Amino acid sequence: MAEATVKKEGIVAQVKEFITTIPVNKIGIKDIFNYPKTPVNNLIALLIVLFLAMFAIGVGNYLIHGHHAYGVTRQHPWGLLIAVYIFFVVSSTGLCIVGSLGDVFGFKDYEMISKRAIFGSIVTIMAGFAVIAFEIGHPITMLIYNVLTPGLRSAIWWMGTLYGLYLTFMIIEFVFLLKHDMKSAKIFGLAGLLIGLAAHSNLGGVFGFLNTRLISNGVFYPTYFILTAFITGIYLAFIMMGFRYKLNFPENAKKMLVNLAKIQGLLLAILMFFETWKMLTGVYGGMPGRADVVEHILTTPPFWVEVIAGMLIPFIIIISSKGNNIKGLFWGSFIGMVGIFFMRYDLVHDTQLKPLQMMKITEYQLPPKWVEYFPSASEIMISLGGLGLCLLLYYVGTKLFNLDADEAH
Amino acid sequence: MARYGMALDYKNCINCKACEVACKEENGVLLGADKHRIWVGANNPDGVWPNLDIASAAFMPSQCQHCEEAPCEEVCPTHATYYDENGVVRVDSDKCILCSYCMNACPYDARYVDDRTVTVDKCTFCSDTRLARGETTTACQNTCPTKVRTFGDLDDPESEISILLKTRDHFSLKAHLGTKPKLFYLT
Repeated sequence: MAEATVKKEGIVAQVKEFITTIPVNKIGIKDIFNYPKTPVNNLIALLIVLFLAMFAIGVGNYLIHGHHAYGVTRQHPWGLLIAVYIFFVVSSTGLCIVGSLGDVFGFKDYEMISKRAIFGSIVTIMAGFAVIAFEIGHPITMLIYNVLTPGLRSAIWWMGTLYGLYLTFMIIEFVFLLKHDMKSAKIFGLAGLLIGLAAHSNLGGVFGFLNTRLISNGVFYPTYFILTAFITGIYLAFIMMGFRYKLNFPENAKKMLVNLAKIQGLLLAILMFFETWKMLTGVYGGMPGRADVVEHILTTPPFWVEVIAGMLIPFIIIISSKGNNIKGLFWGSFIGMVGIFFMRYDLVHDTQLKPLQMMKITEYQLPPKWVEYFPSASEIMISLGGLGLCLLLYYVGTKLFNLDADEAH
Repeated sequence: MARYGMALDYKNCINCKACEVACKEENGVLLGADKHRIWVGANNPDGVWPNLDIASAAFMPSQCQHCEEAPCEEVCPTHATYYDENGVVRVDSDKCILCSYCMNACPYDARYVDDRTVTVDKCTFCSDTRLARGETTTACQNTCPTKVRTFGDLDDPESEISILLKTRDHFSLKAHLGTKPKLFYLT
């Protein structure tokens, strides 16, 4: 009995020691406000405060009115918040892939971004969870019954559960990276990456499994999600590194970013190839419920924002300089992320575009051709709040942790 | 233990909407929840006057199809949607997290959010109300003046619905999706 108590105390002491030896900078509230007061920094700080205030207002409105505060309807039950959640988790998976290049796969050139990217993957998924918590009607019930009565045939169950596990592994990996225990970081990083990829493809499966929504049904989304995650991760890598070095990149950063730009060029080419074939096979044969939806999508502005901003502009920047214009691609990555946001929005909206049309029409009334949706102010405010939260957490992280590669690398 | 289904002699429907009213009254469907739990669709006649296809102007009463392979049951992450002992597709409001996945997965647009429980609800073949009281008909069937609906046990060869399905041609909606609906439209 006494031996067991000693053993237990030993384990507790070991855990305590493990936690207390995590290298964390001691900062106070004052340090948070201590940043170079440039106009750009001031603007970002102001936007973060504004977005967080919007988050509070949006959430308050939701708590009072429930889903009536949103623009979602019975025919269009998934709205902007689902798109924003996907946007954040795609970013997280992408950053996890980019971070894994160095510390899991051992490509030395990419080690300098590993810690930053893994931290980015943690804050983006946390922002995603913060947003989805106000879209799922009963998040606490979800936590309970996900465990008590798991729906193992549901892609949402797998996606949610695997993302929870993924976040745990990412945090453990990040702690080991901070402690410079590269071997343990590699093991947890690999596990986190594999679970993250499984979670992410399951998120694609949430849409791919919808037999009744011909535009989404099939293998496309589960695979395309992984591809677009990698693309998103590289855009974010450019944005993070651009801010870190204020566009005056050291040689090793230049080398890494040029390599990443070249990979991005290839990935964007593959994405455009996939997207073209998706549209072609969608239209071909004129199948009702699919061809008409594709034809409609091709006439909508958000789709072209997705294509032009998310794919074409960054691709042209890369191709025109053979990947060497990394400052250009830093700006191109902002445009790319706007495109990626529309990509997520389109995916959610397009899935629900076609009315199921169970003849719910009254006399002398034509059935609606398309299901209309526009996000409400509350949805927009919560979405921007998610972005504010993400930026705040990342900023606090840069103060708390050393996100640069350790010298010993 | 039964396997409940419903046959609809839809060409007899006169669009009086008594079934919608009876359903709302029996199951406490909130005001404004129009065409949510059950509905009568009205199809405009095909063609251009005077060459109108009058036969195409039928009314089409519909509701949850109580599929044997229900997509809404498959996608539910917490098993809130389940088949009860009579094969009726039901929702356990205690377990529903309102992720709305079932609303997106249902090919029949048969699910809606009940503002009282803030969970997803749907037609239950009056399982909580009339059947629970020991009655053998649903509210929509009971009130129909032209006897469009016949509700009963598909496993009982002597039931009215089984005999109807044996003697009349019928079709199901979106049967190509493999959902095996238990609503049958008599032709």
